[in-house]
Amino acid sequence: MERQLPGLSVVTSDLWKEGDSVVCDLIVIGPLKEQRPAELLASIAPSTAVILCAPSDPKELALLRKHYPRLLHVPLREDWTQVILLVAGESLRRTEALRLAKQAEQRAAQNSNDAVLGRYMIDMKHNVNNAMTSLLGNAELLLLEPGELSAQSLAQIKTIHTMALRINEIMQRFSSLASEMREVETPSQAETEDAIPTPFPRR
Amino acid sequence: MSTAPHFIPKWPLTCFFSDSENHAEFTLVQKKVLIVDDSPAQVRLIQGLLEPEGYWPVGLSDPKRVEEAIAVEKPNVILLDVVMPERNGFQVCRELKGNVKFNAIPVILVTSKDTASDRYWGQQQGADGYVTKPFTREELLRAVRRFV
Repeated sequence: MERQLPGLSVVTSDLWKEGDSVVCDLIVIGPLKEQRPAELLASIAPSTAVILCAPSDPKELALLRKHYPRLLHVPLREDWTQVILLVAGESLRRTEALRLAKQAEQRAAQNSNDAVLGRYMIDMKHNVNNAMTSLLGNAELLLLEPGELSAQSLAQIKTIHTMALRINEIMQRFSSLASEMREVETPSQAETEDAIPTPFPRR
Repeated sequence: MSTAPHFIPKWPLTCFFSDSENHAEFTLVQKKVLIVDDSPAQVRLIQGLLEPEGYWPVGLSDPKRVEEAIAVEKPNVILLDVVMPERNGFQVCRELKGNVKFNAIPVILVTSKDTASDRYWGQQQGADGYVTKPFTREELLRAVRRFV
Protein backbone atom coordinates (compact mmCIF):
# COMPACT_ATOMS: atom_id res chain seq x y z
CA MET A 1 0.00 0.00 0.00
CA GLU A 2 1.33 3.40 -0.97
CA ARG A 3 2.10 5.59 1.99
CA GLN A 4 0.44 8.97 1.81
CA LEU A 5 2.61 11.80 3.03
CA PRO A 6 1.13 15.15 3.98
CA GLY A 7 1.97 18.13 1.77
CA LEU A 8 3.93 20.76 3.69
CA SER A 9 4.19 24.52 3.24
CA VAL A 10 6.65 26.46 5.35
CA VAL A 11 5.97 30.17 5.66
CA THR A 12 7.85 32.71 7.75
CA SER A 13 5.71 35.04 9.79
CA ASP A 14 6.71 38.11 7.76
CA LEU A 15 5.33 36.45 4.60
CA TRP A 16 2.06 35.54 6.31
CA LYS A 17 -0.42 38.14 5.14
CA GLU A 18 -3.49 38.85 7.16
CA GLY A 19 -6.60 38.45 5.08
CA ASP A 20 -5.20 35.61 2.95
CA SER A 21 -7.56 32.70 2.95
CA VAL A 22 -5.67 29.67 4.23
CA VAL A 23 -6.88 26.18 3.37
CA CYS A 24 -4.99 23.38 5.05
CA ASP A 25 -5.56 20.47 7.40
CA LEU A 26 -3.12 21.55 10.10
CA ILE A 27 -1.13 24.67 10.96
CA VAL A 28 1.92 24.49 13.20
CA ILE A 29 3.01 27.82 14.54
CA GLY A 30 6.55 28.07 15.89
CA PRO A 31 8.11 30.79 18.03
CA LEU A 32 7.28 34.25 16.69
CA LYS A 33 9.61 37.23 16.69
CA GLU A 34 7.31 40.23 16.78
CA GLN A 35 3.72 39.12 16.17
CA ARG A 36 1.31 37.78 18.74
CA PRO A 37 -0.26 34.38 17.92
CA ALA A 38 -3.71 36.06 17.88
CA GLU A 39 -2.66 38.36 15.02
CA LEU A 40 -1.38 35.44 13.04
CA LEU A 41 -4.44 33.32 13.62
CA ALA A 42 -6.86 36.06 12.60
CA SER A 43 -7.00 34.87 8.98
CA ILE A 44 -7.50 31.19 9.84
CA ALA A 45 -10.89 29.49 9.95
CA PRO A 46 -11.81 28.56 13.57
CA SER A 47 -12.35 24.91 12.61
CA THR A 48 -8.72 24.52 11.43
CA ALA A 49 -6.44 22.37 13.58
CA VAL A 50 -3.64 24.48 15.00
CA ILE A 51 -0.60 23.47 17.03
CA LEU A 52 0.98 26.38 18.77
CA CYS A 53 4.54 25.54 19.55
CA ALA A 54 5.60 28.82 21.08
CA PRO A 55 5.81 30.40 24.49
CA SER A 56 2.45 31.84 25.31
CA ASP A 57 0.81 33.63 28.14
CA PRO A 58 -1.76 31.29 29.77
CA LYS A 59 -4.46 34.00 29.65
CA GLU A 60 -3.88 34.60 25.96
CA LEU A 61 -3.93 30.86 25.35
CA ALA A 62 -7.28 30.52 27.12
CA LEU A 63 -8.71 33.32 24.97
CA LEU A 64 -7.35 31.76 21.78
CA ARG A 65 -8.87 28.40 22.70
CA LYS A 66 -12.29 30.04 22.87
CA HIS A 67 -11.99 31.12 19.22
CA TYR A 68 -10.04 28.06 18.04
CA PRO A 69 -11.39 24.98 19.80
CA ARG A 70 -8.94 22.75 17.92
CA LEU A 71 -5.89 24.69 19.13
CA LEU A 72 -3.24 22.61 20.87
CA HIS A 73 -0.29 24.03 22.75
CA VAL A 74 3.06 22.25 22.76
CA PRO A 75 5.44 23.86 25.26
CA LEU A 76 9.00 24.35 24.11
CA ARG A 77 10.73 21.64 26.09
CA GLU A 78 13.58 19.31 25.21
CA ASP A 79 11.41 16.76 23.43
CA TRP A 80 9.17 19.28 21.63
CA THR A 81 10.05 17.91 18.16
CA GLN A 82 8.93 14.40 19.13
CA VAL A 83 5.76 15.74 20.72
CA ILE A 84 4.92 17.87 17.70
CA LEU A 85 5.37 14.93 15.33
CA LEU A 86 3.11 12.79 17.46
CA VAL A 87 0.43 15.45 17.88
CA ALA A 88 0.57 16.48 14.20
CA GLY A 89 0.22 12.85 13.11
CA GLU A 90 -2.80 12.34 15.36
CA SER A 91 -4.30 15.63 14.27
CA LEU A 92 -3.98 14.73 10.57
CA ARG A 93 -5.49 11.31 11.23
CA ARG A 94 -8.39 12.98 12.99
CA THR A 95 -8.86 15.36 10.05
CA GLU A 96 -8.88 12.41 7.65
CA ALA A 97 -11.33 10.51 9.88
CA LEU A 98 -13.61 13.56 9.96
CA ARG A 99 -13.43 13.85 6.17
CA LEU A 100 -14.35 10.16 5.78
CA ALA A 101 -17.16 10.51 8.31
CA LYS A 102 -18.54 13.50 6.39
CA GLN A 103 -18.36 11.53 3.14
CA ALA A 104 -20.13 8.58 4.78
CA GLU A 105 -22.79 10.96 6.12
CA GLN A 106 -23.36 12.35 2.62
CA ARG A 107 -23.55 8.84 1.16
CA ALA A 108 -25.98 7.78 3.89
CA ALA A 109 -28.19 10.80 3.11
CA GLN A 110 -28.10 9.90 -0.60
CA ASN A 111 -28.87 6.25 0.18
CA SER A 112 -31.75 7.32 2.36
CA ASN A 113 -33.21 9.37 -0.51
CA ASP A 114 -32.75 6.42 -2.87
CA ALA A 115 -34.42 4.12 -0.34
CA VAL A 116 -37.46 6.42 -0.16
CA LEU A 117 -37.67 6.35 -3.94
CA GLY A 118 -37.28 2.55 -3.97
CA ARG A 119 -39.97 2.07 -1.33
CA TYR A 120 -42.29 4.36 -3.27
CA MET A 121 -41.70 2.32 -6.43
CA ILE A 122 -42.37 -0.94 -4.60
CA ASP A 123 -45.59 0.53 -3.18
CA MET A 124 -46.63 1.72 -6.62
CA LYS A 125 -45.79 -1.61 -8.29
CA HIS A 126 -49.13 -3.05 -7.25
CA ASN A 127 -51.03 -0.17 -8.88
CA VAL A 128 -48.87 -0.29 -11.99
CA ASN A 129 -49.42 -4.04 -12.33
CA ASN A 130 -53.18 -3.63 -11.97
CA ALA A 131 -53.22 -0.88 -14.58
CA MET A 132 -51.03 -3.01 -16.85
CA THR A 133 -53.44 -5.94 -16.48
CA SER A 134 -56.27 -3.78 -17.83
CA LEU A 135 -54.14 -2.38 -20.62
CA LEU A 136 -52.78 -5.72 -21.74
CA GLY A 137 -56.03 -7.63 -21.25
CA ASN A 138 -58.23 -5.14 -23.07
CA ALA A 139 -55.79 -4.97 -25.96
CA GLU A 140 -55.90 -8.78 -26.15
CA LEU A 141 -59.70 -8.73 -26.03
CA LEU A 142 -59.81 -6.31 -28.97
CA LEU A 143 -57.30 -8.43 -30.87
CA LEU A 144 -59.55 -11.48 -30.42
CA GLU A 145 -61.83 -10.09 -33.11
CA PRO A 146 -59.50 -8.47 -35.62
CA GLY A 147 -62.15 -8.53 -38.36
CA GLU A 148 -64.18 -5.87 -36.57
CA LEU A 149 -61.34 -3.36 -36.66
CA SER A 150 -59.96 -1.21 -39.43
CA ALA A 151 -56.40 -1.95 -40.51
CA GLN A 152 -55.22 1.25 -38.85
CA SER A 153 -57.01 0.51 -35.52
CA LEU A 154 -55.67 -3.04 -35.58
CA ALA A 155 -52.11 -1.77 -36.06
CA GLN A 156 -52.56 0.75 -33.25
CA ILE A 157 -53.94 -1.85 -30.84
CA LYS A 158 -51.07 -4.18 -31.72
CA THR A 159 -48.67 -1.36 -30.87
CA ILE A 160 -50.44 -0.80 -27.52
CA HIS A 161 -50.23 -4.53 -26.84
CA THR A 162 -46.52 -4.71 -27.71
CA MET A 163 -45.72 -1.68 -25.60
CA ALA A 164 -47.73 -3.06 -22.68
CA LEU A 165 -45.71 -6.28 -22.89
CA ARG A 166 -42.51 -4.23 -22.93
CA ILE A 167 -43.54 -2.28 -19.82
CA ASN A 168 -44.42 -5.59 -18.21
CA GLU A 169 -40.91 -6.89 -18.94
CA ILE A 170 -39.40 -3.74 -17.43
CA MET A 171 -41.52 -4.14 -14.30
CA GLN A 172 -40.50 -7.80 -14.02
CA ARG A 173 -36.83 -6.83 -14.30
CA PHE A 174 -37.43 -4.25 -11.59
CA SER A 175 -39.05 -6.92 -9.40
CA SER A 176 -36.12 -9.31 -9.93
CA LEU A 177 -33.68 -6.52 -9.08
CA ALA A 178 -35.63 -5.70 -5.92
CA SER A 179 -35.63 -9.34 -4.78
CA GLU A 180 -31.93 -9.75 -5.66
CA MET A 181 -31.15 -6.68 -3.57
CA ARG A 182 -33.15 -8.11 -0.68
CA GLU A 183 -31.19 -11.38 -0.96
CA VAL A 184 -27.87 -9.52 -0.91
CA GLU A 185 -28.98 -7.17 1.85
CA THR A 186 -30.08 -9.87 4.28
CA PRO A 187 -26.71 -11.70 4.63
CA SER A 188 -24.72 -8.45 4.56
CA GLN A 189 -26.97 -7.00 7.24
CA ALA A 190 -26.53 -10.13 9.34
CA GLU A 191 -22.75 -9.91 8.91
CA THR A 192 -22.79 -6.24 9.91
CA GLU A 193 -24.88 -7.00 12.98
CA ASP A 194 -22.47 -9.83 13.90
CA ALA A 195 -19.51 -7.51 13.53
CA ILE A 196 -20.94 -4.92 15.92
CA PRO A 197 -19.96 -5.88 19.47
CA THR A 198 -22.86 -6.30 21.82
CA PRO A 199 -22.77 -3.74 24.63
CA PHE A 200 -23.88 -6.33 27.18
CA PRO A 201 -22.39 -9.69 26.24
CA ARG A 202 -24.23 -12.77 27.42
CA ARG A 203 -22.64 -14.68 30.23
CA MET B 1 -78.07 -10.41 -3.31
CA SER B 2 -76.37 -8.38 -5.96
CA THR B 3 -73.20 -10.03 -7.15
CA ALA B 4 -72.37 -7.17 -9.45
CA PRO B 5 -70.80 -7.13 -11.94
CA HIS B 6 -72.71 -10.10 -13.26
CA PHE B 7 -72.48 -12.01 -16.46
CA ILE B 8 -75.26 -14.28 -17.69
CA PRO B 9 -74.39 -16.48 -20.65
CA LYS B 10 -76.64 -19.10 -22.26
CA TRP B 11 -77.01 -22.00 -19.85
CA PRO B 12 -76.87 -24.90 -20.42
CA LEU B 13 -75.39 -24.77 -23.89
CA THR B 14 -76.93 -27.39 -26.10
CA CYS B 15 -75.12 -28.47 -29.24
CA PHE B 16 -75.74 -30.98 -31.99
CA PHE B 17 -72.92 -33.05 -33.36
CA SER B 18 -73.40 -35.31 -36.32
CA ASP B 19 -71.33 -37.79 -38.20
CA SER B 20 -72.06 -40.32 -40.95
CA GLU B 21 -72.98 -43.15 -38.57
CA ASN B 22 -75.17 -41.67 -35.89
CA HIS B 23 -76.65 -38.49 -34.68
CA ALA B 24 -76.31 -37.53 -31.10
CA GLU B 25 -77.23 -34.61 -28.94
CA PHE B 26 -74.80 -33.46 -26.32
CA THR B 27 -75.30 -30.95 -23.64
CA LEU B 28 -72.07 -29.07 -23.10
CA VAL B 29 -71.84 -28.07 -19.50
CA GLN B 30 -70.10 -24.76 -19.20
CA LYS B 31 -67.60 -24.52 -16.40
CA LYS B 32 -68.43 -21.77 -13.99
CA VAL B 33 -65.62 -19.51 -12.82
CA LEU B 34 -66.12 -17.20 -9.85
CA ILE B 35 -63.95 -14.10 -10.15
CA VAL B 36 -63.38 -12.27 -6.88
CA ASP B 37 -61.72 -8.87 -7.33
CA ASP B 38 -62.51 -5.54 -5.73
CA SER B 39 -61.93 -3.81 -9.06
CA PRO B 40 -64.99 -4.14 -11.33
CA ALA B 41 -62.78 -3.29 -14.32
CA GLN B 42 -60.54 -6.29 -13.58
CA VAL B 43 -63.61 -8.52 -13.13
CA ARG B 44 -65.02 -7.40 -16.47
CA LEU B 45 -61.69 -7.96 -18.15
CA ILE B 46 -61.29 -11.52 -16.85
CA GLN B 47 -64.90 -12.25 -17.78
CA GLY B 48 -64.19 -10.99 -21.28
CA LEU B 49 -61.11 -13.22 -21.57
CA LEU B 50 -62.85 -16.37 -20.30
CA GLU B 51 -66.18 -16.06 -22.08
CA PRO B 52 -64.93 -16.73 -25.64
CA GLU B 53 -63.30 -19.92 -24.33
CA GLY B 54 -66.68 -21.31 -23.25
CA TYR B 55 -66.40 -20.58 -19.54
CA TRP B 56 -69.23 -19.11 -17.51
CA PRO B 57 -67.59 -16.31 -15.56
CA VAL B 58 -69.37 -14.82 -12.55
CA GLY B 59 -67.97 -11.72 -10.90
CA LEU B 60 -67.92 -10.67 -7.28
CA SER B 61 -66.45 -7.39 -6.04
CA ASP B 62 -67.06 -7.88 -2.33
CA PRO B 63 -64.66 -10.40 -0.75
CA LYS B 64 -66.82 -10.61 2.39
CA ARG B 65 -69.53 -12.37 0.41
CA VAL B 66 -67.43 -15.11 -1.16
CA GLU B 67 -69.05 -17.99 0.77
CA GLU B 68 -72.51 -16.64 -0.04
CA ALA B 69 -71.63 -16.39 -3.73
CA ILE B 70 -70.17 -19.92 -3.78
CA ALA B 71 -73.33 -21.32 -2.18
CA VAL B 72 -75.49 -19.65 -4.83
CA GLU B 73 -73.29 -20.02 -7.91
CA LYS B 74 -71.51 -23.32 -7.16
CA PRO B 75 -68.42 -22.46 -9.24
CA ASN B 76 -65.98 -25.04 -10.60
CA VAL B 77 -63.01 -22.80 -9.94
CA ILE B 78 -62.37 -19.53 -8.12
CA LEU B 79 -60.10 -16.76 -9.35
CA LEU B 80 -59.20 -14.73 -6.29
CA ASP B 81 -57.46 -11.37 -6.07
CA VAL B 82 -55.20 -10.87 -3.04
CA VAL B 83 -55.02 -7.15 -2.30
CA MET B 84 -58.59 -6.30 -1.38
CA PRO B 85 -60.06 -4.10 1.36
CA GLU B 86 -61.41 -5.62 4.59
CA ARG B 87 -60.69 -9.23 3.65
CA ASN B 88 -57.62 -10.07 1.58
CA GLY B 89 -57.30 -13.00 -0.79
CA PHE B 90 -54.95 -14.93 1.50
CA GLN B 91 -57.53 -14.77 4.28
CA VAL B 92 -60.36 -15.79 1.94
CA CYS B 93 -58.32 -18.69 0.57
CA ARG B 94 -57.32 -19.90 4.05
CA GLU B 95 -60.94 -19.80 5.23
CA LEU B 96 -62.27 -21.56 2.13
CA LYS B 97 -59.68 -24.31 2.41
CA GLY B 98 -60.49 -24.71 6.08
CA ASN B 99 -64.16 -25.21 5.34
CA VAL B 100 -65.24 -28.73 4.30
CA LYS B 101 -68.13 -27.29 2.28
CA PHE B 102 -65.80 -25.36 -0.03
CA ASN B 103 -62.33 -26.85 0.20
CA ALA B 104 -62.73 -29.04 -2.90
CA ILE B 105 -63.09 -26.03 -5.19
CA PRO B 106 -59.76 -25.07 -6.77
CA VAL B 107 -58.63 -21.55 -5.88
CA ILE B 108 -56.30 -19.65 -8.19
CA LEU B 109 -54.80 -16.51 -6.73
CA VAL B 110 -54.65 -13.74 -9.34
CA THR B 111 -52.51 -10.98 -7.95
CA SER B 112 -49.93 -8.30 -8.54
CA LYS B 113 -47.93 -9.66 -5.58
CA ASP B 114 -45.14 -11.34 -7.49
CA THR B 115 -42.36 -12.24 -5.10
CA ALA B 116 -41.32 -15.80 -4.26
CA SER B 117 -42.42 -15.25 -0.66
CA ASP B 118 -45.89 -14.16 -1.84
CA ARG B 119 -46.20 -17.34 -3.91
CA TYR B 120 -45.00 -19.43 -0.99
CA TRP B 121 -47.46 -17.74 1.34
CA GLY B 122 -50.28 -18.30 -1.16
CA GLN B 123 -49.36 -21.99 -1.28
CA GLN B 124 -49.38 -22.11 2.51
CA GLN B 125 -52.95 -20.78 2.49
CA GLY B 126 -53.96 -23.73 0.31
CA ALA B 127 -54.13 -22.00 -3.09
CA ASP B 128 -54.11 -24.42 -6.02
CA GLY B 129 -52.73 -21.96 -8.56
CA TYR B 130 -51.02 -18.58 -8.76
CA VAL B 131 -51.21 -16.07 -11.63
CA THR B 132 -49.37 -12.77 -11.38
CA LYS B 133 -50.73 -9.54 -12.77
CA PRO B 134 -50.29 -8.39 -15.42
CA PHE B 135 -50.99 -11.69 -17.17
CA THR B 136 -51.50 -12.52 -20.80
CA ARG B 137 -54.70 -14.20 -21.95
CA GLU B 138 -52.74 -17.41 -22.51
CA GLU B 139 -51.31 -17.40 -18.97
CA LEU B 140 -54.77 -16.96 -17.47
CA LEU B 141 -56.33 -19.67 -19.62
CA ARG B 142 -53.47 -22.09 -18.91
CA ALA B 143 -54.03 -21.64 -15.17
CA VAL B 144 -57.80 -22.18 -15.44
CA ARG B 145 -57.48 -25.16 -17.80
CA ARG B 146 -55.43 -27.01 -15.20
CA PHE B 147 -58.63 -27.44 -13.21
CA VAL B 148 -61.59 -27.14 -15.59
